[in-house]
Amino acid sequence: MSHSKPDTVSAVLARGRLGIPSVVFFVIAAAAPLTVVAGGATTGYAVTGVTGIPVAYLVVAAVLALFAVGYVAMSRRIVNAGAFYTYVTRGLGRPAGVGAALVALLAYNAMQIGLYGGAGAVTAQFLADRYGLDPAWWVCALMVWAVVAVLGVARIDLNGRVLAVVLVAECVVALVFDAVMVSHPAGGTVAFDTLAPSHVFAAGIGAALVTAITGFVGFEGTVVFSEETKDPRRTIARATYIAVAVTGLLYGLSAWAMSVATGPDRIVDAARADGTDLIFNLVSPYLSQSVVTVARVLFITSLFAALLSFHHTVARYLFALGRERVLPAVFGRTSRRTGAPKVGSLVQSGLAFAVLVGYALAGADPIVHLFFWITVTGGLGVLILMTVTSAAVVGFYRRISHTEGPWRSLIAPLTATLALGGILTVTLREFDTLLGVAPDSPLRWAFPAAYAAVALLGIGWALLLRTANPEIYHAIGLGADSDTGPLRAPDTVRQPA
Amino acid sequence: MTSTPGGEYAPHLREHPVPSRPVRAVGSAAAHAMRLADEFFYLAHDDQTGRPRLFESALAHGLAAALLAELHWEGRITFERGYVRVVRNAPPKDWLQHLVLDRLIAEPQHTATRTWLAFVATTAYEQVATRMWQLGLLRQHQVGRWWRQRTAYVPADMNTAAWSWARLSYQLRNYQRLNAFDVALAGLAMHTQLDPILLDGAPLAARTFLRQQVEQAHPPLRDLLADLGAVVGGAVLSHRTA
Repeated sequence: MSHSKPDTVSAVLARGRLGIPSVVFFVIAAAAPLTVVAGGATTGYAVTGVTGIPVAYLVVAAVLALFAVGYVAMSRRIVNAGAFYTYVTRGLGRPAGVGAALVALLAYNAMQIGLYGGAGAVTAQFLADRYGLDPAWWVCALMVWAVVAVLGVARIDLNGRVLAVVLVAECVVALVFDAVMVSHPAGGTVAFDTLAPSHVFAAGIGAALVTAITGFVGFEGTVVFSEETKDPRRTIARATYIAVAVTGLLYGLSAWAMSVATGPDRIVDAARADGTDLIFNLVSPYLSQSVVTVARVLFITSLFAALLSFHHTVARYLFALGRERVLPAVFGRTSRRTGAPKVGSLVQSGLAFAVLVGYALAGADPIVHLFFWITVTGGLGVLILMTVTSAAVVGFYRRISHTEGPWRSLIAPLTATLALGGILTVTLREFDTLLGVAPDSPLRWAFPAAYAAVALLGIGWALLLRTANPEIYHAIGLGADSDTGPLRAPDTVRQPA
Repeated sequence: MTSTPGGEYAPHLREHPVPSRPVRAVGSAAAHAMRLADEFFYLAHDDQTGRPRLFESALAHGLAAALLAELHWEGRITFERGYVRVVRNAPPKDWLQHLVLDRLIAEPQHTATRTWLAFVATTAYEQVATRMWQLGLLRQHQVGRWWRQRTAYVPADMNTAAWSWARLSYQLRNYQRLNAFDVALAGLAMHTQLDPILLDGAPLAARTFLRQQVEQAHPPLRDLLADLGAVVGGAVLSHRTA
């Protein structure tokens, strides 16, 4: 390294680069802490009837931190590192990659569309309480949908500074609520029952674990920013660990605090009775009404931030797949004036609209049937993706020559694969508990089967491309870099056929 | 690399065979030696109002790629497998080309094409606009309300500004082979997603023809264009409103 040479290039490019806090803010905003605390955790208690939700959040945080070790290490060596299917392509081959891509599309769409149920119901409730209006949940959901659809195609994201302020406010509110709840325990004693590690081996833990994973979805987005950070090696890794740690502790603490306030034996009944109002009802006797109102507004804004963030995620996936021409090339086009991946954005909005109308016509419950069922199904999809991605990290490092130590290239990803695979197994076994349906209900198989179907479809499509259109086949996983595919090898690895 | 960069294509640069049928006022066009970045600037802005037809990062990176391509055609640099290499140090006549080349020579520790695209993109818009304004190709205009006034550039002559658009659009729709300069310009448009303005309403075959023409570009240019496409795509993927 020479220090005598001028380095204007580095200096100029360093301007406007992201530091650790910005990256953390962007991804935690997508995970939407208040949505998880007020919506996910309470509905999780209510639908699954499992009291081990708090410990599940902590266990999942630990497993995801382990997963992040190999994931972040591999992200530095590949292009299009923002998408899970790229890892799968590089580690396990192109057919598996396309299968993963379709699973990801389904999963993120499910996450996003499910959130409309929460946003619609919570907004309707808020308008009813505050202003005495009585709109149907789907009217509110469609209003939110319209705003997301417009912002999506106009490529407007929430401003980083606004996001940071809202996020900090959300965390402060959650912590204040936790303090209030813990200082007013049911029966006068603070109980730690819901944090007992024994829950990990109790019945229904699979349902609790996938509920917890759903709350973390979005943290994997740190790597999208890897080329825009000051120090890609450190910034992304640290931001990812910080995001997982902060959200994990916050979720675990808040879910536990709720069980303290109601008493561990009553938390499930209380959650069933109050739904997403539980946390607000528990603290309102001890706090001024305006604080609770602000918290309710923040709940809605956090849902909105998550909706917009997952909308952009789906549009990005569709764009990357369109650029590779795995999906029709029209998905790879952007709006000339805004640079929005407009076709992907419009298709996602169209799909969400159809689902919302379907739910409204069917008269289904927005919180249980849309918000909880569909987002945890999304969580299941992301769990599948993370399991496969973790295995792909192991496969990737076995095939290249590298200087990465055994911890990052083998031990951590392998352990994470086993842990995530274990969670996946119990989740599938207990999917009836998760949905709160009878053990012989066909629904318990319908949701997981959808993932199997699209994965097979993707694998079949890739195999078809291999014979019919090798040029496209070879660009799989390159995303926006697909133009460079025919000219150079994407990385030092020989791709499996 | 077998050919000298720019060598075999150099004659095309300053000769622009007028298409067999005149398109818009031909007489007013191509009075000066055309430069790629200037022509791309025209293509990417409305010929009358000067309003951009392309989103900011694509425009900036497209102009940066155009400036690097100019240096390539002056025989100063070449592109290979994602890296830029300086092949001749002699200063170019044009001050802007000179400025960019000086940076490339002064900071040899940076070799990735994408690094240079990103670096040149930070200043390319102002620089290219200034160069064109000095030649009288653009006029400066104050636009915006008083609280957010800024300088905008408007083409001095609409026909000059529309010339490359008209030429490319006409030739592509009529499946006429493009010369090297136009291949580069069309390639820049294609990789910044500006090509719909060239092919608005044209049959799908015209789009295929454009792709074929661009794929026949000189290998170093194709290498530069691939990186441009990747950088613009990357900007779409990692977009955020900061």
